Amino acid sequence: METDSIIPQLIANSVIAGSLYALLALGFNLIYGTTKFFNLAHGAVAVLGGYIMLLCLKSFGLPVWLASSIAILGAGLAGYLFERFVYEPLRARKASSMVLLIASLGIFTVIQAVIAMIFTSQFQTLSTAETGLYKVYGAVITEVQLMVMISVVVISVLLALTLKYTIFGKAIRAINDDEEVSEIVGINTKVIIRRVVFIGSAIAGVAGILIGFDVGLEPTMGLSLLMKGVIASIVGGIGNVYGGVVGGFILGFVENFGIWKISGEWKDAIAFALLIVFLVVRPQGLFKK
Amino acid sequence: MEYLIHIAVLISIYSILGISLDLVLGFTGLLSVTHAAFYGLGAYATAILLTSFGMNFFLAVLLGIIVSGVIALGFGIVLSRFRDDFYALASMGFNTIVFSVFLNWQSVTRGPLGIPGIDRPSLFGFEFSENIFFLILCVVFATAVYFISRFITNSSFGRVLLAIRENEEAISVFGYNTVFYKLLIFVISAMMASVAGALYATYVTYIDPSSFSLSESIFILAMIIVGGLSNHRGAILGAVFVILLPEVLRFVGFPTDIAAQMRQLTYGVLLIAFMLYRPKGLVGKYEL
Repeated sequence: METDSIIPQLIANSVIAGSLYALLALGFNLIYGTTKFFNLAHGAVAVLGGYIMLLCLKSFGLPVWLASSIAILGAGLAGYLFERFVYEPLRARKASSMVLLIASLGIFTVIQAVIAMIFTSQFQTLSTAETGLYKVYGAVITEVQLMVMISVVVISVLLALTLKYTIFGKAIRAINDDEEVSEIVGINTKVIIRRVVFIGSAIAGVAGILIGFDVGLEPTMGLSLLMKGVIASIVGGIGNVYGGVVGGFILGFVENFGIWKISGEWKDAIAFALLIVFLVVRPQGLFKK
Repeated sequence: MEYLIHIAVLISIYSILGISLDLVLGFTGLLSVTHAAFYGLGAYATAILLTSFGMNFFLAVLLGIIVSGVIALGFGIVLSRFRDDFYALASMGFNTIVFSVFLNWQSVTRGPLGIPGIDRPSLFGFEFSENIFFLILCVVFATAVYFISRFITNSSFGRVLLAIRENEEAISVFGYNTVFYKLLIFVISAMMASVAGALYATYVTYIDPSSFSLSESIFILAMIIVGGLSNHRGAILGAVFVILLPEVLRFVGFPTDIAAQMRQLTYGVLLIAFMLYRPKGLVGKYEL
């Protein structure tokens, strides 16, 4: 007989939440590393991915594999367009990172409003029928949550390999270190950055789809998703792709164990308290870049 | 006529918010995204003191100012370690925490239910229940905030703030304790915001946490960026602009639900457009 302790379920919940935060942090960090500004639209892009999935799956009745491909590419494309037509011109003008931050806030507001206009502000979920349940050491995990964990492993490994072994990855790392010098040695930084934003946004789209299946979608959830990604990144070390993954899991554990004794509504406050503690005590994060 | 008074009351309240945030953002260069927290603290303090203790409005405002000031002091001490985008991020954290307290400290704030039945202010037996009198009260407060802010920014204290904005290291070399200056202006700004909150609470007579979320802070930020930073008139112009805009959209004839989203959409587009083509805002004197 299994014990009816709550601990295994808490650990499972922490790992699941941590995986989602890690996904958000992966994309966010990737973009931050090359562009060096807080892209506050990142969470909204994730939500956009989720809603494109909703449209393809429920309204057009496409199969899951096709719908998710369209949603992921759609999120990536959205990120690409913002980079191309907003962030890039601003950077070319040598605008401060605050200007970029505020512009991304504008983009966030626009995405949120457009989603609410098309899909209404109602809460909607992607999951259709009941999904399979797995029991692991006394914790219950759904099929979707298993997918969440698999995706974060697959995407992190793919990203790590790309960064380490491909020419594209080496160019990204060069831009992370110094954009100007990279340009001088002949890297087409503009094109690389556009691609990075595309990939980062596409990863956000993956996160959005998984969240849509796991807990459901709401147009206004972008800001909270973004903040989770940002907090995970800062805890792990901003701009450090792997640090963000670790940070995501730390955030997942702190949040879920934090609400063990108090009500679940305090989750956001706990997350932000963690952020402020880290900003004060160790602003460079656990893993310095 | 009632309609015009309503618009004017809103513009006065948002002018107070805009002018006070501009002291921190426009004049001192600190990208604070937590103004709605102090706005909410003022509103909740006043609402609770009026409904549960039957206190006089003006006394409640004063206590609300003190509460906001003390909390701003605590936040400000932490925030003084950061600058630019990290400052923005940490301040967003504070807004979220205060919002969570409004939402979850149910025994005091009644959580998502909000606090209904807040009385209109009264002074020496005279009650500001007519909207026109309430408007006069708002305008008096807004004018006071305007002149206090102008006094601050024209004083030597204000010049140090400008210097901090332009080059903090340089001014600290001259022996100015920049942390003290940044802290003081942050606290003053928070106190002003709490006055706006008190007026809002007694005007609509009902408050709930949703009016004081991070989105509201972003809204106030967008307002003064559109109007123009580092200029008190810019803040007022911004308030007029963002309050009138949705009314115009309403006259165009969108259904209510879509109109609310159209408003958000317009603010977003404005923010992007201003950042791209006119980062100074309409009449701003400072570019981020």
